[in-house]
Amino acid sequence: MNPVSRFFTRIGAMAAKETLHIRRDPRTLYLALVMPVVLLLVFGYGVSFDTDHLPIAVVDLDQSSESRELVRGFTASGELEVAARPANAEEAERLVQRGEVLGVLTVPAGAGRDLLRGTAVELQLAVDGADGVIANQLLSKSEALARALNVKLSPLDGVAPPLEVRVWTRFNPSLKSAFFFVPGLTAYLLAIAAVLLTALAIAGEWERGSMEQLFASPVSGIEIILGKLLPYLALGCLQMLLVLAFGTWAFDVPILGSLPLLFLAGMLFLVGMLGQGLLISVVTRNQLVATQAGAFSSLLPSLLLSGFVFPIENMPRVLQWLSHVIPARYLVNALRGLMLKGVGLEAIWGDLVALTIFAVAVLGISTARFRRKLA
Amino acid sequence: MSAPAIVARHLKKRFGTFVAVDDVSFEVERGEIFGYLGANGAGKSTTIRILCGLLEPTSGTATVAGHSVAEDPEAVKASIGYMSQKFSLYLDLPVAENLAFFGGAYGLSGRALRRRTEEVLELSGLAEVRDAQTGSLPGGIRQRLALGCAVLHQPEIVFLDEPTAGVDPTARRIFWKLIRELSRGGTTVFVTTHYLDEAEYCARIGLMVDGRLVALDTPAQLKRTHVPDRMFAVRGPNAARASGPLRQVAGVRNVEPFGAGLHVRAEPGRCEAQTLRAAAGAAGHQVEVEPIDPTLEDVFLAVVGRSAKKEEDGA
Ligand SMILES: Nc1ncnc2c1ncn2[C@@H]1O[C@H](COP(=O)(O)OP(=O)(O)OP(=O)(O)O)[C@@H](O)[C@H]1O
Ligand SMILES: [Mg+2]
Repeated sequence: MNPVSRFFTRIGAMAAKETLHIRRDPRTLYLALVMPVVLLLVFGYGVSFDTDHLPIAVVDLDQSSESRELVRGFTASGELEVAARPANAEEAERLVQRGEVLGVLTVPAGAGRDLLRGTAVELQLAVDGADGVIANQLLSKSEALARALNVKLSPLDGVAPPLEVRVWTRFNPSLKSAFFFVPGLTAYLLAIAAVLLTALAIAGEWERGSMEQLFASPVSGIEIILGKLLPYLALGCLQMLLVLAFGTWAFDVPILGSLPLLFLAGMLFLVGMLGQGLLISVVTRNQLVATQAGAFSSLLPSLLLSGFVFPIENMPRVLQWLSHVIPARYLVNALRGLMLKGVGLEAIWGDLVALTIFAVAVLGISTARFRRKLA
Repeated sequence: MSAPAIVARHLKKRFGTFVAVDDVSFEVERGEIFGYLGANGAGKSTTIRILCGLLEPTSGTATVAGHSVAEDPEAVKASIGYMSQKFSLYLDLPVAENLAFFGGAYGLSGRALRRRTEEVLELSGLAEVRDAQTGSLPGGIRQRLALGCAVLHQPEIVFLDEPTAGVDPTARRIFWKLIRELSRGGTTVFVTTHYLDEAEYCARIGLMVDGRLVALDTPAQLKRTHVPDRMFAVRGPNAARASGPLRQVAGVRNVEPFGAGLHVRAEPGRCEAQTLRAAAGAAGHQVEVEPIDPTLEDVFLAVVGRSAKKEEDGA
């Protein structure tokens, strides 16, 4: 048999064996395939939870019949409810802080006159962003109402668009929506599963002593690494498909951009995460330590520094700087661009390059450290 | 081919300041069963790991199956099978899957792999448990499976590191039958063990004490060299009480309790069984005395005692 087919035979043997381990280990399957769906549901359930009668305060600085008509239009459907009519912005703000209202609708002075003249009227809606889920509902409802009002009012004057709702969110300027959490959650889930599972699987070979057995065989380091990682790459792809399919199906998250680019970004990220798991196992050679190091190094950064939960622009300078070495940051950015904005390669090539650099570096370092010796 | 299967020259392995293997040299002939004996921590596993290319020696050279371990470790690895001291197969996989995996790791595939898997299952008596999960099997059967995995690719040499540790006597006997079959088929077997009775099966034995190879020969020659004295077994209802009078007999060097009786060691040619029986009888103890062959245990005790003494003298 020639060396090339031997190479593939050995990788095939390693990968087939690993696949058997995966199929027999409920923890692996849970972490890779069940947990993502559970987490998506937990996140998604909060968002799709519908509430009516969201209390808002109205500051009507115009006090004309037109302005009152406008406010009535906003609240007629019962989704928003005027809970207070404070005289000025300061008073309204106090109501928000006390939690009595969730937002403040401000009608500027001169709105009635402008409406009659057909010039654009700008309403302000300030939303308490402390509870992202509720704030998000308030925003989407107001936007829909404004659009409806626009249609209703425009024939009156024949000028479009006479009404414009300007939205400010307070206290949590980067409000998360269902659309935003799916890309972030994808990165988070892929990172945890890929890093933890590979770190565990490879450290396990050391702990069990089978690594010694493998080192005494003609299987090369590269063959061991490829044979170990490929099944987890496949599992990671399956996981990504699952999360994206579930996200688009259950929460109507769009995928406006190119699907191949989406998977390219996901694969590059996965390879980097597998490399990170490999590096951890090569250094620790111990499942317990590998679990802790794997969880710590994948979970926290992809949750906190990726832009998934906290917007990177709002972080302290040090953390912003740190986020540049967190691959999840680039995946989240690329996924948001590809899914929500429909951008192409020109907008995300930097992210792809960063993901590639991380993957190559971490795989290179761990492969170099992976020597077939015991001491 | 007449070149030795294994040649070790001045092997030394240091861990920090501790010397685990100290200037060890030996040769193992092709097809031979070579026993490597020593107490815990004597350096047996370390020697095997050096020979398998798993550890780099601090100094010294090794040639295995005609290939230099330092220069051509891949050729060495392709020609050997290794069964590590710690059981390290995959407990969550069935027996046949473990074999299939190790076959693949050695580059076997397709029909050749299937044929060898069947052969090994048959040879090592594992055919009935082929689909059983490895973790559910008793130790003796697991060890047979580990041996099967190590010989699947028909290596020239197998290294077995304490393959029968913690295994019941019946399973040990079956295992040694397999080892002898391998050797008859031309495979060189390098085996370490704690059990001195097993070592009798070996063509030659190396004795390790604290990292040094202190004796190396056939079991028979080792006994002649290291236990030149004649040994007698003394049995009888009052045998234990005869130890005092027996010590007085000219030529007797040592009397030790052994089971319910005694073992007597005497200078060759100075006393016979009837001399001892008469001496015991004169003291009022009716005993039976018969000459016995020294065991490897006697060799081991003599050798270890001697090197411990040397150490004291040296210090
Ligand atoms: N990687 C290592 N680092 C430090 N010391 C080691 C290492 N490997 C072995 N040793 C030490 O070297 C000595 C010889 O170990 P080795 O495993 O070769 O003994 P052994 O004869 O196989 O003993 P056993 O019968 O217990 O298996 C022991 O004292 C052991 O603690
Ligand atoms: Mg050992």
